[in-house]
Amino acid sequence: MRFWKELIKGVWAENPIFRLVLGMCPALAVTTSLENSLGMGVAATFVLVCSNAVISTIRNLIPNKVRIPCFIVVIATFVTIVDLVMSGFAPALHANLGLFIPLIVVNCVILGRAEAFASKHPIMLSIADGIGMGLGFTLGLSILGGCREILGAGTLTVWQGIPQLSIGGFKPMVLMILAPGGFIALGCLLALMNYVQAETAKRKGKTIPPPANLDCRHCTICKFGS
Amino acid sequence: MKETLRLILTVTIICSLAGALLAGVNSLTKERIQDVNRNKKLSAIQEVLPPCDNQPDANACVVEYGGRNWTFFVARNGGAFAGAAVETSSSAGYGGDISLMLGINAENKTQAIAILGQKETPGLGANIEGDDFKGLFAGKALATSNWAVAKDGGEIDQITAATISSRAVTEAVKAAIDAYLANEEAIEQTGGN
Repeated sequence: MRFWKELIKGVWAENPIFRLVLGMCPALAVTTSLENSLGMGVAATFVLVCSNAVISTIRNLIPNKVRIPCFIVVIATFVTIVDLVMSGFAPALHANLGLFIPLIVVNCVILGRAEAFASKHPIMLSIADGIGMGLGFTLGLSILGGCREILGAGTLTVWQGIPQLSIGGFKPMVLMILAPGGFIALGCLLALMNYVQAETAKRKGKTIPPPANLDCRHCTICKFGS
Repeated sequence: MKETLRLILTVTIICSLAGALLAGVNSLTKERIQDVNRNKKLSAIQEVLPPCDNQPDANACVVEYGGRNWTFFVARNGGAFAGAAVETSSSAGYGGDISLMLGINAENKTQAIAILGQKETPGLGANIEGDDFKGLFAGKALATSNWAVAKDGGEIDQITAATISSRAVTEAVKAAIDAYLANEEAIEQTGGN
């Protein structure tokens, strides 16, 4: 099943946050809590699925020279819809995410998938790609946001109304919900993902070549060097 | 020429369709968004005012003081002046503007404050939203209290490691109190018989 293959790849093998390392601006800025991360993820997924579907439908009608402006207009339309609906129906979330909702327009994940996938594939596959990438993005943001919220605030909130989980017994590191904490958490998670990937490949008897632009010869922390 | 025309036509059509779609969504959500904004302000007004039997948000008194326009929402209970709420702000916050609603009661004391918007550091400056800090602004005499943070010789205990945010809130409250004291009579008579 091609549909499922395209859907699954976004969640793990081509996860936008941990593997493609796209959309880093919202990934670092809004992941101060699990709730914000989920909200951002759902908003971006909606835009991604809708824009992929529309762009795939009109891909043969758009002249190549003006394809990027057309993609941006389609994406901006859906972002504005999300912005309006969210400020009407989820004002608290809208206040938290603030500027980062309009900025979904320039999120590399969305334009990247429009250019690299939706403009070359039929509509059903593009929708699958949108759902998969959206889920992967949401998952990445949620892991990042969850880690930062637990360490930085000592709580874990899924949604207002559902009682939040308080993790007591230690003094939260405020640093983790500030800007530096975003970089620290993302770096640690990326290293962990690389380690897991290298380990699973090793078990299957394969080796993963080190990234072309990195000199790994002297470092033994991850498994690329050995 | 023919190709240029095709490019222009494609972009125009796509933009028009997008515009039409957005106009539709806007007309559907417009009222709802206005409601949300009004309710937010209304609940803040009610939070900082003593009990009253009129509609404070419909009973406003606009005065000019210190180069700013101040809108006082006046509460009445059985016809008598019960208190007033005013929105005030300071641009001296650590992360930008802090806006808040200040309530004043009939005994010339502060009733309460409610933070409307702030972008202070989570875990530090953002603690100005906590009840411990907001409680410092309740029940203080308007004219005789020393409206400054303890570090500047005043009587508001600043939040540890968030003096700038605490100072900005205090400054916003003081500006509103000055505006109130300068126009006390006009405000107290608003909506009275």
